[in-house]
Amino acid sequence: MPCIRFETTDRTTEYPAGESVNVLRMAIRHEVGLPWKCGSGRCGTDRILVKEGADHLDAPRRRERERLGPLLDEGYRLACQTYTSGDLVVTWDPEQKGLDEGSELHAKLKERWLAAPDST
Amino acid sequence: MTDLLNESDFRDALEQAMTGTMAKDASFSRAWATGKLDRKHFVNWAVNHYHYVGAFADCLALIYANTPDSARDAKDFLLQNMYEEELSDDRHTDLLIRFGEVCGATREQIMDRRNAMPYTKGMAGWQYQLSATQHFAVATAAMVVGLESQVPSIYRTQYPVLIDEAGYGFTEHDCEFFDLHITSDEVHGERGYQIVLKYADTPALQQACIIAVREAADMRFNYTKSLYETYVKPDLGEWVEPTATEARVASLV
Ligand code: FES
Repeated sequence: MPCIRFETTDRTTEYPAGESVNVLRMAIRHEVGLPWKCGSGRCGTDRILVKEGADHLDAPRRRERERLGPLLDEGYRLACQTYTSGDLVVTWDPEQKGLDEGSELHAKLKERWLAAPDST
Repeated sequence: MTDLLNESDFRDALEQAMTGTMAKDASFSRAWATGKLDRKHFVNWAVNHYHYVGAFADCLALIYANTPDSARDAKDFLLQNMYEEELSDDRHTDLLIRFGEVCGATREQIMDRRNAMPYTKGMAGWQYQLSATQHFAVATAAMVVGLESQVPSIYRTQYPVLIDEAGYGFTEHDCEFFDLHITSDEVHGERGYQIVLKYADTPALQQACIIAVREAADMRFNYTKSLYETYVKPDLGEWVEPTATEARVASLV
């Protein structure tokens, strides 16, 4: 069975051969301690450095490309946006936070909360 | 009387409850994934899907109200799920309307309940009834495990052909609704399982959850099948699974 090794917390999880699994879903299911927040490619809290197994990953999705930018070339991925179909080894900074405090997204959210009610 | 299942057996039973009625295998989903649909079919889908998923956040709010403060993690999950549906980024139903508009519908047409199938209205009513009256673990089992956790498996087969130039030829922007749900519902689905596994803590509650998941999967399967019967069958006839070479986008089948 292929496995994902979450090296930072010294945890390994297996999944059935032939399946393609979401890395954050596996991390949540097996409570490996990977930080995350939004689960949809916006915050960047769940960025992982892929040490082995990059060839088994799906191509980066649009939100991941936009959120990570040049970090993608350095081997980072967003766990919530990444599917693997083979063995994988990843690490992360246990203290890491989202990538975007004070970002455009935060400004957009703030604007939304302060806006007039929706007309629809 | 059935014994209390351990976590692993209970999870297996919940997964088993959806076997054979996964919406990704229903005729409309298969026609979609194999490149057989036209834009007018997507308009019909958008209208009905709006009235099916439009009820979702309301239903989560009903479950939230029925969840005791002692289950704080469950309450927080429901609230976060609602927030992500409605406010954290683009409103999910707005992304759905965007796709419908690209296919030729108007916002008003999509939002007008009279344009939805009777089955869709019935399904929305079933969601409200279940969310308002059932124990929060049972309602979460139906709404999140039975319905929402299926989403990645459905859209992972439908999204590639949408944005493939040799397929339906939409842009990534047109189809953001699908891409977003592929990944966000992985997380929602998994958290839903965790809530159900934790709070369905008697044999009776576990069995009620298994029944609710089976019922939810059945509802979604038949809703998807009804889309084909109502809108596609008049054009394509009874659904017959194409061979790989017959499919418009053989590599994506
Ligand atoms: S959890 Fe926010 S980007 Fe993945």
